[in-house]
Amino acid sequence: MISFQLNNSSVQVDIDPDTPLLWVVRDHFKLKGSKFGCGMGLCGACTMHVNGEAVRSCTLPISAVQGAAITSIEGLGTPDNLHPLQQAWVEYSVPQCGYCQSGQLMAASALLAKNPNPSDDDIEMAMNGNICRCGTYSKIKLAIKSGAEAMRAQGNVVEIFDPVMANKEAS
Amino acid sequence: MKKASMTRRLFLLSTGAAATGLIVGCSTAAAKGGGYSSIAGAFEPNSFIQITPDNQVIFYLPSSEMGQGILDGLTTLIAEELRVQPGAIDVRHASLHEDYKNPEMGMQATGGSNATRAQFLPLRQAAADTAAAIRNAAAKQLDQPLDKIALADGQVIVEDKSYGFGDFVAVAALMPVPENSPLRSPKQFDQIGRERPRLDALSKSTGSAEFGIDAEVENLYRAVVVRSPVLGATLLGFDASAALKRSGVVDVVQIKSGVAVVAQSYWQARQAAAALELNWEKTELASWSSDSIYNKFNETLNDSSQKGLECCDEGEGDKLLDQSATVVAADYYAPYLAHATMEPLNCTVEINGDACAIYLGTQNIQASAGAAVYYGDFDADKVKVHPAFLGGGFGRRGLGDDVAEAVLIAQQTGRNIQLVWSREDDMSNDFYRPAALVRMQAGVSEQGLIETWAVRRVGPNIMGYMLDEWVDALAPDYLNKRFVDWLSKLGRPIFNRFIADPSAGDGIYSDYDTPNKAVRHVTQDPGLRTGFWRSVGHSSNAFFKESFIDELAQSAGIDELQFRLANMKNNPRLTEATQLVAAKAGWGKPLPEGHFHGLATHSSFGSAVAEIAEVSIEGTQIIVHKVTAAIHCGMVVNPGIVRDQIEGGIVYGLTAALHGEITLVDGVIQQSNFHDYPILRMADAPEVEVHIVASQEHPEGVGEPGLPPLAPAVANAVFKASGQRLRDLPLRLS
Repeated sequence: MISFQLNNSSVQVDIDPDTPLLWVVRDHFKLKGSKFGCGMGLCGACTMHVNGEAVRSCTLPISAVQGAAITSIEGLGTPDNLHPLQQAWVEYSVPQCGYCQSGQLMAASALLAKNPNPSDDDIEMAMNGNICRCGTYSKIKLAIKSGAEAMRAQGNVVEIFDPVMANKEAS
Repeated sequence: MKKASMTRRLFLLSTGAAATGLIVGCSTAAAKGGGYSSIAGAFEPNSFIQITPDNQVIFYLPSSEMGQGILDGLTTLIAEELRVQPGAIDVRHASLHEDYKNPEMGMQATGGSNATRAQFLPLRQAAADTAAAIRNAAAKQLDQPLDKIALADGQVIVEDKSYGFGDFVAVAALMPVPENSPLRSPKQFDQIGRERPRLDALSKSTGSAEFGIDAEVENLYRAVVVRSPVLGATLLGFDASAALKRSGVVDVVQIKSGVAVVAQSYWQARQAAAALELNWEKTELASWSSDSIYNKFNETLNDSSQKGLECCDEGEGDKLLDQSATVVAADYYAPYLAHATMEPLNCTVEINGDACAIYLGTQNIQASAGAAVYYGDFDADKVKVHPAFLGGGFGRRGLGDDVAEAVLIAQQTGRNIQLVWSREDDMSNDFYRPAALVRMQAGVSEQGLIETWAVRRVGPNIMGYMLDEWVDALAPDYLNKRFVDWLSKLGRPIFNRFIADPSAGDGIYSDYDTPNKAVRHVTQDPGLRTGFWRSVGHSSNAFFKESFIDELAQSAGIDELQFRLANMKNNPRLTEATQLVAAKAGWGKPLPEGHFHGLATHSSFGSAVAEIAEVSIEGTQIIVHKVTAAIHCGMVVNPGIVRDQIEGGIVYGLTAALHGEITLVDGVIQQSNFHDYPILRMADAPEVEVHIVASQEHPEGVGEPGLPPLAPAVANAVFKASGQRLRDLPLRLS
């Protein structure tokens, strides 16, 4: 039995321990927003946050997330309560086919959580693991900058996940 | 404006009509529409639109949304004529029905960049007739003259009162639906041509957009298939004993393309599949490798006894070639390419007795359903397709191979299954963009006019492989299956020996005013299956044509822009796009140190596109800093989407130009995933600037036309930067 936090809920799952996090979230918990693209951590379509870090969930065995806090795209924001990046994604019409965009958003939101004012180089560095076959890169860049600006304007406090503190609070 | 309160008279009228509507409504719905399930009390004037009593406007989208923005575009057409905000329309993917056939293709399919062009008038007409029906019903119900009834913003407006459309649907359902109602003129347009965020952006930014791979049905098992390492080989035998012992595995079955492992989860099925032992027959393709294929192409190119098939013969053909002041010849090559859609192929199948439901994203819903009928032996009316968004299409989705596998697995195991291809499956079981080796020859006059244009082209065809898939899936089900299979195999010999495959000649001789043209194609096919790949023949032919045009201009000592303009006097659209891009990019003006411009111009899918790439060289690395593009595509529905499609075509094209190559060793595809089939990433993506030529002409394609000019624009800039004329794709400096 493996226990972890999924989008702020405590969950447990009894499953082959080598099963990648992606398939557990998609097929066991039926959250379908995170996508399968390559199975080798090469394309980023499966990106989720593990303790605040952008991680390729298609290669991360579920046994490795025991006690961790996982956020998938479903936990980033909802149509009624969008994350500022999602707001920017809509305003700039970023998605084309849309298949990679959950992963793009998770990679971008992990970047902004650490770096509220990223340069072009920072963005390229953080986003280079995420492939978009439709070619939406320039819009992604614009939307990240716009989302970052909105977050700064709102005075969003950057929450840096500290696993030590989190464990203390939990116990 | 105040909301009208319903008078007692109106209440009686509408409820009375609704009651009758329930009886009559069914037959009218069946007669007029029928593509969708009826909703009680709704007005159902045709298969595209439903309006419910509570003011819900539903539009059934007849084309597949694979990123190209057709959901947004076609909904905008409905919104324009129906006088509703596009965002207020509930858009649903249309299932299979006669009424949803693409009017140009005669098939319910999406491809060839024609969805807007083909449906621009029919869909507006359907919406305009629906709007007229609502007005007629309102006039009758409110007992007002028709000219007092206006529609705006989803409301029926009568002097200072406004009503929801739903107030009149019951009466509308009892009245004849008008035909040929006048369409709004471009001057009246307030939706068409307007830039606003695309309608599917929200669901695709929240993970809630449903793709084929997201389908869930009761008691669903997951399946993977192990196929031959050499495409098309027959299975001689297999040992599943080890695989069957793996955790979660419930079945191992043989299907036509290989062996399927079915398990409770995808991961279990995928792990167990690695434990299968399979023995494959050796096929002819196994005797081919990329080097031997190239050598065979080259041998054929130089063997003048092989005449090939005629793609084009105009004026004196190539007879006068040697009489021109300047004669130039050069050989070019383009490799096989994979589509690599972000969403690997998948299909979910649910069988209930004699009924079969399939869930997937497909560019050809008709072929997908047909594959279930053909391979699963279902009656055509017992197959229900549940279409979803496509995680990229680019020509790959909709051949029926995914459905065939999934249906066979579901039938043999008696289970509901979801078949998911791995990235490796996807890369090595594609229908590849065909390779081609081409000899370009041209004669140019002293004034710099092209007098003769001669092309000899060697490579495989596409149509034979497409027909092999489609004839099976689309043939009427009363035909004997063995006959259909025999028929489906005729495509290859026909296109190899008798009729030139249209894609072989696409775009390789058009655009310029040359009086004498001779284009011939010699089929040379090692047996690797091929298919439609974003822009099809144009994807390689534009590279050959536009690189060669630069070679001609340089041989004649004329500026490449001026040379093109002088030779495209009969091509006003391309001329406008070319002049626009030259002005916007500053052709001929100074660039940063070490940066060089390359130009290419090409018409495809009804549109004309000119692109200028700004390139520099570092060592042997090609760096594309910026691409400026101009497109003439007629009237524009949403300018933002046009620009995105051109940029998307440029990025897709740049991946191919710099990296794209599928190679074989002993028939086995050497590329497997994104590490050895690299895709352009953000850090290497150029700045892209797209300009649209203002036009009131009928809309044309935008999904594909941005791609063809990219590779030659880059190659032409690389020549300026390095002095190396790169005639093989992908572009590699030595």
